[in-house]
Amino acid sequence: MSQRGRHQESKTKLEISPSETMKAEEENYKEEDKEPKSEDWRPPSVFGAADLKNRAVGLYNIGQTCCLNSLLQVFFMNIHFTKILRRISVPVCGTQKKNNVPYQMLLLLEEMQRGKQKAVSPRELAICLLAHRVTMFVQYDAAQLFLTLWNLLKKQMKNPELVEKLSDLYTIGVQEHLACQICSSETKRNSSMLTLPVPLLDSGFYMLKTLEECLQCFFHPEELTGHNMCFCEHCGKKTPFRQCVKLVHLPQTLTIHLKRFCFGRSAYIHKISSCLPFPQDLDFNEVLTEQQCQAYDSEKAAWQYELFAVVAHSGSTSCGHYCAYIRSLTECKWYCFNDSLVEQVSWDDVKSTYGHSDLSWGQTAYLLFYMKKHPQ
Amino acid sequence: MAQWQEVQQLPPTHLERVHQLYTNAALPMTVRQSLADWIEDQDWQQAAEPFSSHARMLFHSLLTLLGEQLGSLGPGDEDFMLKHNLRKARIDLQAAFEEHPENFANLVANLLQEERCILRRAQAKGQVEAPPAPSTAPQSSQEREIQQRLAEFRTALQEAERAFRHMEDLQDTFDFSYKMYYLPGQDHSHDPQYAQHVQALQAKLQSLDRQRREVVAQIQQLLGRSETLRDFLQQELSAWRERQQRSCLGAPTDTCLLQLQGWFTALGEGLFQLLQLLRAVGELRQKVTYEQDPLQSELPLLEKRLQEQLTCLLQSAFVVEQQPCMPNTPKRPLVLRTANKFCTRARLLVRLHDRNHRMEANIHIDRDPPKTRGFRKFNILTSSSKTVLVGDSPREGLVCDFQYLTLKEQKGGGSGKGSRGSNEGPLAVTEELHLITFTLAYAYCGLELKLETSTLPFVIISNNNQLSSAWASVLWFNMLSPNPKDQQFFSTPPPAPWPRLAEVLSWQFQSIAERGLSREHLQMLAEKLFGSKPSPESALPWTKFSKDGAAGFSFWAWLDGILALLHDHLKQLWKDGLILGFVSRKQEKKLLKVKRSGTFLIRFSESMLGGVTCTWVEHPESGPPAFRAVVPYTAAELASLALPDIIRDYQLLAEENIPENPLLFLYPDTARDEAFGPYYSQRHEGILTKKKEYLNQRLIRVSSRQPHETWQTEEDLVVATEDLETLRLKSGGQQPESPGTVPGGGRTPGTPQAVSPGLQQAVVEGVVLQQAVAAGLGTQQPGPQVAVLPSPQQLGSGSIGVLQTGMGNLGPPVVLQLLQVGPGGQGVLPTGGGAIGPLLGSGAAELLLGNGAVGLLPSGLGDLEGLPLQEPELEAGAVQLEAAELLPTLDDSAVLLDPSDPFLPQPEDVALPATPSLFTADGDFPPLHIDASDFQ
Repeated sequence: MSQRGRHQESKTKLEISPSETMKAEEENYKEEDKEPKSEDWRPPSVFGAADLKNRAVGLYNIGQTCCLNSLLQVFFMNIHFTKILRRISVPVCGTQKKNNVPYQMLLLLEEMQRGKQKAVSPRELAICLLAHRVTMFVQYDAAQLFLTLWNLLKKQMKNPELVEKLSDLYTIGVQEHLACQICSSETKRNSSMLTLPVPLLDSGFYMLKTLEECLQCFFHPEELTGHNMCFCEHCGKKTPFRQCVKLVHLPQTLTIHLKRFCFGRSAYIHKISSCLPFPQDLDFNEVLTEQQCQAYDSEKAAWQYELFAVVAHSGSTSCGHYCAYIRSLTECKWYCFNDSLVEQVSWDDVKSTYGHSDLSWGQTAYLLFYMKKHPQ
Repeated sequence: MAQWQEVQQLPPTHLERVHQLYTNAALPMTVRQSLADWIEDQDWQQAAEPFSSHARMLFHSLLTLLGEQLGSLGPGDEDFMLKHNLRKARIDLQAAFEEHPENFANLVANLLQEERCILRRAQAKGQVEAPPAPSTAPQSSQEREIQQRLAEFRTALQEAERAFRHMEDLQDTFDFSYKMYYLPGQDHSHDPQYAQHVQALQAKLQSLDRQRREVVAQIQQLLGRSETLRDFLQQELSAWRERQQRSCLGAPTDTCLLQLQGWFTALGEGLFQLLQLLRAVGELRQKVTYEQDPLQSELPLLEKRLQEQLTCLLQSAFVVEQQPCMPNTPKRPLVLRTANKFCTRARLLVRLHDRNHRMEANIHIDRDPPKTRGFRKFNILTSSSKTVLVGDSPREGLVCDFQYLTLKEQKGGGSGKGSRGSNEGPLAVTEELHLITFTLAYAYCGLELKLETSTLPFVIISNNNQLSSAWASVLWFNMLSPNPKDQQFFSTPPPAPWPRLAEVLSWQFQSIAERGLSREHLQMLAEKLFGSKPSPESALPWTKFSKDGAAGFSFWAWLDGILALLHDHLKQLWKDGLILGFVSRKQEKKLLKVKRSGTFLIRFSESMLGGVTCTWVEHPESGPPAFRAVVPYTAAELASLALPDIIRDYQLLAEENIPENPLLFLYPDTARDEAFGPYYSQRHEGILTKKKEYLNQRLIRVSSRQPHETWQTEEDLVVATEDLETLRLKSGGQQPESPGTVPGGGRTPGTPQAVSPGLQQAVVEGVVLQQAVAAGLGTQQPGPQVAVLPSPQQLGSGSIGVLQTGMGNLGPPVVLQLLQVGPGGQGVLPTGGGAIGPLLGSGAAELLLGNGAVGLLPSGLGDLEGLPLQEPELEAGAVQLEAAELLPTLDDSAVLLDPSDPFLPQPEDVALPATPSLFTADGDFPPLHIDASDFQ
């Protein structure tokens, strides 16, 4: 059915292609007029960019924006995110529009979905980000930019309901435990994180073999002794502590940050390009032990994940390139978003981002986005 | 093939899709058909970009071409409809797209893409549906995937090149306009045209910039895909390496490199093409650059990434195609003997080279030798460098073939010969692993690399008798080493899991005799090794495999002995499955018990190196079935008489009965002659008319037994000896001689010589073995059984008798007779059961001595224990010479076979003293030292 269906679709598309652009543009104007009137306005489609009209759309690199482009594609391909984005309230005046990150993202998404072009330029969004003192046109760390972008989104979404939804979608709940080893007094602190920054090296500086091992290492208790000792109020002196992080809550879209950096001698940072396989299906109940979790069974039951996107980096720390491998949530096919080029790929291509110890310039996964299999 | 051509050849179902595609498309199929090639050559994708001037140009070119097409059609009626359709299409198109040619470009780009999509689907489906072509082996899905990815890579590369050419055009136009119109020094404030020019220039720069980013993105994408492709090739290559390693061990696998070479070359070609493209892009950057030029920042990265990939690809593409191997032992590569020539060959799978550059390959042995004490050092005597041969056919490829290499050991400073003594390392010579490394200075397209590859570790021996244990090391290493370069492997060799070992052992038989080991065979071997049914976790330590052995030799030595025997004498029988081979005694009885009398099977001796024997079953009128076996035949016997002939002519003598062949049916129930008929050697039927100077000779094997002896029952066999073999020389066709009629010939018994201690043979040289025992011996009572060496009727001077001395003893004597030894033929005297000494009473010894048989008798005879003389009377017809204890005279075997050694293994094939009294009488003589259950 799918083939036939898609074929029909494409035929229609070809047929109407000559005039649709104009129509769409008209619609666009109407939309803009209409939007302020009703906050609850919803577009008929809630798909991500690549899911609309059987063709994914690229984003032009407008000067070192490959990192931004990759992250935008990951946002846009996430239907749970676009659902939220489409409900934002539109700023009233022109300058506010220009400086509103969620709104500019929505405009870009609309442009991508509407267009007959293979790629669009994220120029307005880049200008908008510049206005928020996000330096553009420089090499970026994807994890850092993701955080910046997400915070801007959250800050500028006025609707508290949407803000909450956005937080629910991305934030991870953990509980930090700090226990004095002398008097056993324990302090707990709940905190939330946007990404799980997992190390690639264990405490003995040995390479970890799989993503699961990295996660285990992240949740492994750490003994704070010697220089790392903390001041214990009960004991009234510096004592050895045991520090550990317990997992409380996992969001719909889970972001894992592979810390592929290694501080060599003389503070020179180099990239770890060795192989780290990550699974397509990830069950946190199998990865973590009882002690490493602090959650109800109903919460834990939902900790079944499926790989959704990989932001891969090629090159060295000082000079490199990002691209995104994203699995379309509607078609269940993998796409590679390389700036303006979008290509359907296979899982084998995604696997090539595991890394190679003999390819220091090859592409390696840097951010992993997992999606909950059964949304709550 | 052009796309439209391919489309037209689609099967009907897919063609239907194409028709649907064009039914409502604004581009009529007529136009697509008429301008197929031109349409496919244009970059519509590019033109479809907004603000592209390209679109308008293409659109107008198309209209012009349509006009030309119309004009070229003749005035006749035949093309009437076509002309009409084209004309209509031209008008329609012009009307529809004149305003927005980029929409037209978009339309065509989409159509082309859809067509490709349909083609791809049809191909994918066709591959599934089409029955595998008979000529080519069915491709694995991985192979298909690689082919498809290579094709996609090439297409993408072409697209990138097209994009590059477009970029070149854009740059040229910009460059021209820039030089023409941009005059910053002057005042143009009042020149509106200048402002216009500058604006146009700005637009041109914009589109150039966009195109540059596009090209960069395409190259990024290509590099990403090629990484996946390289991963695939790498997987295939490691699979090949594994296959090669297995094939070295004798596994029947395909180690052809042609397909891999094709793939590596294709990817290499693509990457080098990309490298050239990158350089061309770099040249364009040299000419025009601007602020935020994407080439400025991206090019170095792309170049580094590409070079790294190329380096990686080439590095892995340099492989040792043929592991070092001596031509005279092709089935056992990786064992090299000093001063013997050997060959090895390396190949570069990326078949790209610069004809002007002479590539030279070098080899080094043990470039980084392990720092082990006593590690021998070798020199390669012959030239260690060679120019890489470049053949034009793909079969030849880039090959460096070293054919006549020899090795010589470096003697340490001053220590000279025998230096190993003091300098002895922890490892035996056959456990010392060496490596040869190939290096190749590769240069192509400005990329210069030093490629390197290593052979698998090999063992260097200096004597052929080390070959067997060296091969054991090679087996162990390649079976178990996780690291193919680990020269220290034998410092702590891991044990071999049984399933893996079983497979490798089977390959040995497969490669030497073209038939592997069956499940039953392996079951028997496993029980022999592990004493029980093997579990998947059973593992055999290296020492138990190659060094220790209860029988005085290791498991491997035993198995290799059988392999040698198979290779030299029994290949065909083994290949055709006539030899059951590995059967335990217990199993053997189970198999034969239910078969009719005279059913026999052929199996390998477990007690001696390289022996094969027949066991048959007889069902006496009353009592349990009896099983008999002859003393194993070894290479020595089989060299003079092939096993099928032995079986055909084998005679069992029972007194007063006509000798009969007890071997009637090959297990399970094939008549003997039916089973072995094809293998009998041709009998030379004499031509009757021709006057014969000599009678024909024929060698047959005979055993005899006494009529009243009781067959041993199955139970008895556990401890009892089975067969006694003595030897007789007898002229052809004659009845066994009766005692007393043996003429006394020259009584000079030969001196037994050790041929091979392990085989327990003695050659009697230059002596006519005649009756060694006085005629009166037969009357001796109670006398030991004595093997009789009756004189052959025809005795050329210097002819040598063949003696097979089974141990005379109390069991049923099975006398093996050699009928008519050819004159001058060398006889071999295998002594059957060397372990049985204590047979002779002192009287017998005297008697023997008195009869001049002294030369046959060991000096140690005096040590022999007296034989409990409860032996029945010697039969009138059986005058037998006690061939007691020849072995102690054989110096080399004395240690091995010292009968007084309580730990001496009692090989079960060997005739043992039958009466329980023997065991009780002789304290030095332990009962079977192996658990009796092993044999049952």
